[in-house]
Amino acid sequence: MAKNMLAAVRRTAAVLYPLVLLAIFWEVLSRTGLVSPRLMPSLGAIGTAFVKGVWSGEIIHHASVSLLRALSGFGIAIVAGILLGVFMARIRWFEQLVEPIFSFGYPVPKIALYPVFILILGFGSSSKIALIALECSFPIAVNTYFGIRAVAPRLIWSANNMGADPFRTFFRVLLPAALPSIMSGIRVALPLSLVVVIVTEMIGESVGLGYYISYASASFMYASSYAGVIAVAIMGFVLDRIVIAIRNRLVFWEPKGAAQDSSPSPLEI
Amino acid sequence: MTALRKSVACPARARSTLRGLIGWTLPVLLLVAMQWAAGRHDAPRYVVAPTTIAATIWHLLVSGELYVDTVASGIRSYSGFVLGATFGVFIGLLSAVWRKAEAFFDPLVSTLYPVPKIALLPVIITWLGFGDISKIAVIAVAVFFPTFINTLYGARATPVRLIWAARNMGAKRAYIFWHVVLPAALPQIFTGLRTGLALSFIVLFAAEMVGSHNGLGDLIMRSQDAMRYDWMYAAILAIGLLGFISDRILLAVRRKLLANKYSGEANRG
Repeated sequence: MAKNMLAAVRRTAAVLYPLVLLAIFWEVLSRTGLVSPRLMPSLGAIGTAFVKGVWSGEIIHHASVSLLRALSGFGIAIVAGILLGVFMARIRWFEQLVEPIFSFGYPVPKIALYPVFILILGFGSSSKIALIALECSFPIAVNTYFGIRAVAPRLIWSANNMGADPFRTFFRVLLPAALPSIMSGIRVALPLSLVVVIVTEMIGESVGLGYYISYASASFMYASSYAGVIAVAIMGFVLDRIVIAIRNRLVFWEPKGAAQDSSPSPLEI
Repeated sequence: MTALRKSVACPARARSTLRGLIGWTLPVLLLVAMQWAAGRHDAPRYVVAPTTIAATIWHLLVSGELYVDTVASGIRSYSGFVLGATFGVFIGLLSAVWRKAEAFFDPLVSTLYPVPKIALLPVIITWLGFGDISKIAVIAVAVFFPTFINTLYGARATPVRLIWAARNMGAKRAYIFWHVVLPAALPQIFTGLRTGLALSFIVLFAAEMVGSHNGLGDLIMRSQDAMRYDWMYAAILAIGLLGFISDRILLAVRRKLLANKYSGEANRG
């Protein structure tokens, strides 16, 4: 027991020490005035700004707006991406219909369409959510497609042979077999949703963490700006851990190690 | 049986033409719908007829106006990409062969990987100004992470018996690195580069929209402000094309480098 705890402490220390080193480096640069403290506020100042922002509810407010947008778009992308991927993998004419969109559209930066989305849906949340959904559904759909295509035909045949209807075959055979691949698509899409929400909030908005960061740095409140960056970092980190936890629960039969390394899945078209 | 019957009834050649035609349906439908909608009197101003857009693109190409912004964007994104990719591959390989580097970089990068680096954009702008350098720096930071992680995991996944075999036959460390570890890691390095390339265009676009005096992202903003929506669509097409062509170049390089060695992997690109 004690041994386990010691090992856990050692593991945590091994993960934390590079961060601590960086923090010390930062603090030295800031304190000695090698870099202007206005550009590099001391960690204490950043921490104070962060606590103040959270305490006054300002950061919480902006973060909750960003989070809601990111998760709404992400949720739509999960549903749409899985459905598209499944239809592409199982229906021949549908695959032929949308395949060019995916092979040509995949490398295109979808975010360039943001101005068009603004024109159609306005400046508010809906244009951002729509763009997030568009950007994130690509990796999810492509991963789902390859996941379903890779299901061994004999599994489907045996299910059919034992009298499973298409519905049951889908939920009991295809979906579980493709789940690892679907989950890695979801994991690729998650950071994308955050990137898109922050970017779109920086461009034209009056709420959200992207706005908060760019507003603070434009008004020379650099400590607050870094506090916003920290809030984004915490959000990204926690969401990623949640996705990994869900993945390990859903795909319990695959080794955990595969999920815990941060390597994004190979996306090939 | 059905597959056989189909191939007899509908020879492969005819089928692939048909397949190509079906793939054109959705894009053509969209263009026709836009053309039709633009002709209506109650159409919003942002609905521009594709023929008008084509005429604008032709005009911009002939006058060379589009060229200036495309080159500005291209230089930024490629410099940032090359910089970030070089660091990513180099430090990734270093971490793969040197345990101390790995102990430092791996936890750091894994922790920061899900954090959207674009949140640093306003901060980096205050550090480095509104010029090209700040944009190149943000792009490089964004590209570094996926490249590093994929390089490290790719190199780490080198089958250990290959290394044993090489060592057994008297290969030196350097030889093993260049001829065993690096080739084994290459497919995944390219996966990381591809993810990084896609990210670089998102970041480029965001950086140019937030603060820039030229480049395609800025052109989109300028034409939106001036209500020249035909220009806006031209710029969106240009940025999409830039992303698409860059991806194809990367895939071509990858095919060239990986040809014959990993036929199964390389041919998928």
